[in-house]
Amino acid sequence: MTTEVERPGSVSPAPATWGHRHLLDVDRLSRADIELVMRTTDEMRDVLARPIPKVPALRGVSVTILFYEASTRTRVSFEVAAKNLSADVVNVAAASSSVSKGESLIDTVRTIEALGADMLVMRHSVSGAPYLAAEVFGGPVLNGGDGWHAHPSQALLDLYTLRSRLPDGSLEGRKVVILGDVLHSRVARSNIWTLTAMGADLWLCGPATLLRGFEGWAVRGAAGRRFTVTSDVSAALRDADVVMALRIQKERMASGLLPSLREYAARFGLTRARLEAARPEVLVMHPGPMNEGVEIAADVATDPRSVITTQVANGVAVRMALLYLLAAARRAEEGA
Amino acid sequence: MSAEPGELADGLTLRGWAVDPVAGREGAAEIAVEGGRIARLAWLEGSGAGDLGPDGTLIVPGLVDIHAHFREPGNEDAETVATGQLAAAHGGFTTVCLMPNTTPAIDEPSVLARVERAAAASGSPVRVLVHGAVTQGRRGETLAALGELADAGVAGFSDDGSPVRSAAILRNALAYAGALGLPILDHPEDPTLTEGAEASEGYVASVLGLKGWPVAAEASSVARSIAILADVVRDVPGARLHLAHLSTAAALAHVRAAKSAGLPVTCEVTPHHLGFTDEWIAGARRWAWEAVDPGGRARDPWTDGALVAAPYATALRVNPPLRCADDAAACMVALADGTADAIATDHAPHTEVDKHVEFGWAANGISGIETAIGVVLAAVGVGGLSLARAVELLTTGPARVLGERHGVAPRLREGDIADLAVIDRAASWMVTAETLRSKGRNTPLLGRELQGLVRLTLARGRVAYAE
Repeated sequence: MTTEVERPGSVSPAPATWGHRHLLDVDRLSRADIELVMRTTDEMRDVLARPIPKVPALRGVSVTILFYEASTRTRVSFEVAAKNLSADVVNVAAASSSVSKGESLIDTVRTIEALGADMLVMRHSVSGAPYLAAEVFGGPVLNGGDGWHAHPSQALLDLYTLRSRLPDGSLEGRKVVILGDVLHSRVARSNIWTLTAMGADLWLCGPATLLRGFEGWAVRGAAGRRFTVTSDVSAALRDADVVMALRIQKERMASGLLPSLREYAARFGLTRARLEAARPEVLVMHPGPMNEGVEIAADVATDPRSVITTQVANGVAVRMALLYLLAAARRAEEGA
Repeated sequence: MSAEPGELADGLTLRGWAVDPVAGREGAAEIAVEGGRIARLAWLEGSGAGDLGPDGTLIVPGLVDIHAHFREPGNEDAETVATGQLAAAHGGFTTVCLMPNTTPAIDEPSVLARVERAAAASGSPVRVLVHGAVTQGRRGETLAALGELADAGVAGFSDDGSPVRSAAILRNALAYAGALGLPILDHPEDPTLTEGAEASEGYVASVLGLKGWPVAAEASSVARSIAILADVVRDVPGARLHLAHLSTAAALAHVRAAKSAGLPVTCEVTPHHLGFTDEWIAGARRWAWEAVDPGGRARDPWTDGALVAAPYATALRVNPPLRCADDAAACMVALADGTADAIATDHAPHTEVDKHVEFGWAANGISGIETAIGVVLAAVGVGGLSLARAVELLTTGPARVLGERHGVAPRLREGDIADLAVIDRAASWMVTAETLRSKGRNTPLLGRELQGLVRLTLARGRVAYAE
């Protein structure tokens, strides 16, 4: 990438502490890295508050958004974020299935680069696929969700949302419950790293079949930071500061992991009655898309305690911050 | 050494630390090879031994691999019988048994003949034996031509790559093959527990978001097969069950119990399940025995700085998957205490096209026949196995699984046709696309220095490999 990356008009020079070439996972982000993303997101929120929410920071930078999985909110969120930074955006929707692979991921990424892409945002149904892309792509790769593995921008926007809404802006000692299909959730996996890094008392709760393998992780902890795994929904919700419900997919019944959606809703659905056990000022989150009436009751989703629409709004600012930090690090690398 | 591959081994004098598992003897020795035979074997005593020791040059009987895939016919881009023989010789192996999961499968004598012709035409003296399929097309439905295959000279029967799903078919196969004097080499896996599985179920798979392959899928399959064997041997005393690539403490415990009950069961462990663990998929590259602390507790690579490589390297995708350090330690114990009978490479070469893809879509298998001796010697180096036991596990152990039918009798004896390997434990080599003889470069050791350099391999009296 040879273009200048300009700071958004009003903000101070970027601290030279962002040392990551790509953002593929959150497992090795330090607390300082996370704080830098949060601060940069504050600046992007200021930009978004302007009458014309657009800065020239990524002018001349071509960002390709390559999604092998259907997505509306994440894809659009990245697209808006990149456009707010004045990047040129190319959207590629690629068919993804192991039986009709066609052109290999490597060929696709090489082609995209040859067509002038400077940065790549990708989503893929196979865990780890962005690492393969990063192996061959010359510029920064930003993971927009891979298989069950990671969804870094979602975890960071969740964190940003919580810090902006919790009374003292701190996760330290706060009881955060992730409720639902943890096994298949890249959102849960990424949140494990970021929430525990910020000192949260993290609980994962769901049917035992959808928590498989996580007890072994919990006892070691995320980089040693312990968390709790339970199928006891009342114990999990008791005095919770935050509850994040995860989407339940119909396929889980077909594969024999759950008896029925009805039974799931009755035993694990986030209802007003269940939420009584949590602290009165509890925050309710959901990464979307929601199945209202299954993992979350409609009246809970729209309750004043719900921050679900704030999550969506913050998503754009966080993704602006990430695109900006990666582009700036790349420029620094090239300048060095 | 001036010997050229393919030439008669002649006029060679070899000095080193000889290990003969048949005589139960190891020590400094000098071996003269003349006219393709071991003309003289002198055990050296005192000053005659000079500085020859067990940490230097080893002379061992030609290694025997009872489990390899050479991909011919059907996938010659990944390996041919000829390149497989070169790779085997480079790894010190002089006898290799090929699995029948080729295309077409080796389920009747004409396919077997094709493989045998390729082995003869290559000019390599490495001996190639072949396992026939248990079922037609390896589909698990009806028995393959077991009797005809036995007459044509197969070493055993296996549907490797897949388990014999049906208990009824397995029972019939054990009985029928037992009457023919040949073992069934079963691939233990309950496929209902492993659909779409990518990595061993556990901590690493959970963190990496990979679908888990549970220990129970191997252990329950082993238990089932042993129960069926116990039933069959009452009628067919010659029935023999061999369990391929065991990777878990739980499965090995079933074998240990079955052996102490006197059942005719044997099993193998691969070098990769002994030396590597699932944390390699996360980016660790330390040996399995280095992945536990002095108290025997598994270390956490996310907290101790062990993640040195990019995660999701597809060279590590293998079936059964790499396991945790505890299972690898159980493999070591099983090899040492006789629960496991053989080290088998499960050499599984693949093309770049099949491997350089998303982790979950990559073909299963590790190209391992050339690095096996290095991994095993590393295990010997930390005291997990004695040198003598390691050599047994690569020679007489696998030969015993095959039985006497094919006359595979690894030993160092005067007058025998020379069939041996000279391995320099003190020397190392860089594992690269250029140094590997196999077409399959799908090894996680690529780019690494590996201790244990094969200097010479003599097979059936001829030079198979010379440095």
